Amino acid sequence: MSNLAAESPTLADFGTDVWWIIVIKVVGIFALLVALTLFAILFERKVVGRMQQRIGPNRVGPRGGLQSLADGLKLAFKEDIMPALADKPIYFLAPVIAAVPAFLAFSVIPIGPIVSIFGERTPLQLTDLPVGVLIVLACSAMGVYGIVLAGWASGSTYPLLGSLRSAAQMISYEIAMGLSIVAVFLYAGTMSTSGIVEAQESGSEVSAFGLNFDGPGWYAVVLPVSFIIYCIAVVGETNRAPFDLPEAESELVGGFHTEYSSLKFALFYLAEYINMVTVSALAATLFLGGWRAPWPISIWDGANSGWWPVLWFIGKVILGLFVFTWLRATLPRMRYDQFMRFGWKVLVPVALLWILVVATMRVLSREYDFNAGDIALYVGIPVLVLVMAVVWLWPDKAPDPTVKEGVPPTTRGAFPTPPLDLVVPPSPPLIKRDAVAAGKRGGGKRA
Amino acid sequence: MSHAAVLAADVVSSGEAGAFWVLGPIALAGAIGMVLSRNAIHSALWLVLTMLSLGGFYFVQQAPFLGAVQIIVYTGAIMILFLFVLMLVGRDYSDSIVETLRGQRVAAILLGIGFAGLVGGLIADATSGVESVGLAESNADGGNVAAIARLLFTDYLLAFELTSALLITAAVGAMILAHIEHESGSRPGQKEQSIARIKGPRPQTLTGPGVFARGNSVAAPALLPDGSVAEDSRATGMKMRQPPAIASGSIDDLDDVTVDSGANRDGVPT
Amino acid sequence: MSGYLTVGALLVVGIALIAGAGALNSMLSPSRGGGGGGLTTYESGVDPVGEGWAQSQIRYYVYAFLYVVLAVEAVFLFPWATIFGDPGFGTTALVEMGVFVGLLALVLLYVWRKRVLIWT
Repeated sequence: MSNLAAESPTLADFGTDVWWIIVIKVVGIFALLVALTLFAILFERKVVGRMQQRIGPNRVGPRGGLQSLADGLKLAFKEDIMPALADKPIYFLAPVIAAVPAFLAFSVIPIGPIVSIFGERTPLQLTDLPVGVLIVLACSAMGVYGIVLAGWASGSTYPLLGSLRSAAQMISYEIAMGLSIVAVFLYAGTMSTSGIVEAQESGSEVSAFGLNFDGPGWYAVVLPVSFIIYCIAVVGETNRAPFDLPEAESELVGGFHTEYSSLKFALFYLAEYINMVTVSALAATLFLGGWRAPWPISIWDGANSGWWPVLWFIGKVILGLFVFTWLRATLPRMRYDQFMRFGWKVLVPVALLWILVVATMRVLSREYDFNAGDIALYVGIPVLVLVMAVVWLWPDKAPDPTVKEGVPPTTRGAFPTPPLDLVVPPSPPLIKRDAVAAGKRGGGKRA
Repeated sequence: MSHAAVLAADVVSSGEAGAFWVLGPIALAGAIGMVLSRNAIHSALWLVLTMLSLGGFYFVQQAPFLGAVQIIVYTGAIMILFLFVLMLVGRDYSDSIVETLRGQRVAAILLGIGFAGLVGGLIADATSGVESVGLAESNADGGNVAAIARLLFTDYLLAFELTSALLITAAVGAMILAHIEHESGSRPGQKEQSIARIKGPRPQTLTGPGVFARGNSVAAPALLPDGSVAEDSRATGMKMRQPPAIASGSIDDLDDVTVDSGANRDGVPT
Repeated sequence: MSGYLTVGALLVVGIALIAGAGALNSMLSPSRGGGGGGLTTYESGVDPVGEGWAQSQIRYYVYAFLYVVLAVEAVFLFPWATIFGDPGFGTTALVEMGVFVGLLALVLLYVWRKRVLIWT
């Protein structure tokens, strides 16, 4: 065990690297981020394709694997347009301001334990600071500027509206994100990312119904409300569907980047995907045990040493990216007033309340000798039952008159709309499959 | 942050000195740029640069929490508020450069430089030769963040709570002043508008000019904004349907009006 | 100290990379000078009239103010959370923060009642 403990870095392990290790790490971070971005774009298109019964990109490279690389290269050959009405210096600067904080935030994300690179023992993390997580928050605060300025400097209506929406959205959800993290600090007692990963190594002992067992260490399990608020808030923070109001295509063309082309557009695109990767990595770090192996794998002793943790970490990041994609493929875009109402009237109050609840539980368990598991058992379960009973017994709202009743019959010369009682025929593959299955069954009977 | 130096007087490391000489000119350039910019948004951005450099200063002087707060609160929150205020004003607003008092600018520059020299000289005189001690001790036990928190929630608790109450009250006051309260139901919100649109005669968006389509068959050619047929869109090898004519852009009188569909965009007969 | 310099190194390398990519891009991409209205504002096919700059609505300012208030509050919650587990900071720290958060909740409730939180 002492061997394993030496593997997990503490704050004192940082800032002692020789210069060439730092160079390797900086280059490594850029390589990882660019590779993950290229992967995320392709992954998203493939997954959305599967979810929509399509194949997705399959032309460039083996099974379409080089599609995002080809797209990126294509952007480099496009004409760089500077609109006549643009505010030139700021129009030029905005994509840089959007992209730089995006990758800067990744500098405090722990990717693995202490490893040996060419004989030098060093933690797999560029650096760690006593205020580690705050660096990520500061970077996301700076990222707002890139978007506001892009919209403003374009000198065009759609980008301006998109950027204003985006700024109001990002600042609203940044509050919820910041508040959701407080409970993690409360449990971990530190803001350094490596310290938070270490604090999730093992959970406290829980005794329930006379049985003693090790509780889970992951804060996603210990602090489920924080985790849920964080997940919702970062979707709003990264401007992703269903909160992609800043670039709502059907309303604002492209939102803040309507006027951008070529490399500048690519930088916005890069920033969006790097932000997705960063918030997924932060979710893994704060809530999902960081680079430590998940449960069934963690039985194996070597799982948390050497270079293996990089694999678990990237797996968790890809899980985060998958959830982003899943949301995009599933949920329709929200209306802006719904979105703001949800942020300010649900997420922020719940986050504040949750902080006080967690703090109270900590005090109770420490000073009055209650076990955290006992509290969860004797308070949590009745509350859960009560909530479920209320939800179940709550009277259903009378259904609104359907859309069909409200729509007058289509007149000649109006837009061609499908009839509201349209029956969609079953999809051909389904018919074919049923026919094949029926044939097989029939054949079986004959035989 | 090595432990050998805990009790010694603080020495400015070469890294700190280097960071100072990089960040100092940037902060100064931001301040001067802010004053000299004609455009209000440019001014605000120069100020952001200064604020960021100040955050950097806090970091190199081993006050990481203060540095992070400087960036999150000042550069993030307060400057975004500034930007929104400036956007309320609009872009065309710039400073007038007409001097109302003769020689005002020269006098202001001279007095400003003089004042800066005076204050700078006084501070330099008062602080040169002073040795800073105690930084390592105050940051020793649990680090900078814990040290600040411990002081904040013990010795300075009353000041902290009172200041926060004052600040919140002031901010909310300013916010409420800017807010126009509407009676509920007096103005349709986004929800009401959305429902009204779905229930109305036209749930879809209004047609853009020149994109009205009567069918999606290949036999139906595309129309140009003036209602004439886009010749490029005619399919070969089939009899094209005669396109509907659009004169005033209204869909109701679509079939009653005939226009010369034999003219292209520039009015040249084809 | 050197931890911060490492972040600075990442910053410098990142800006250098972006500058390099920009230089490469300006060599590779065509420059037609936007003849034929290529540089006009994009308005979905409608000829742009006037300038695209509009004054923003006051509601954005109101939300930005809310953000300032809550960001300042959150900043005080962070150090409090890190020392909460230390000996001697049990019930007292909870009560202190309870007063602080209660004040904040009061403010949120007030602006809620004042209908500030309704996006129009």
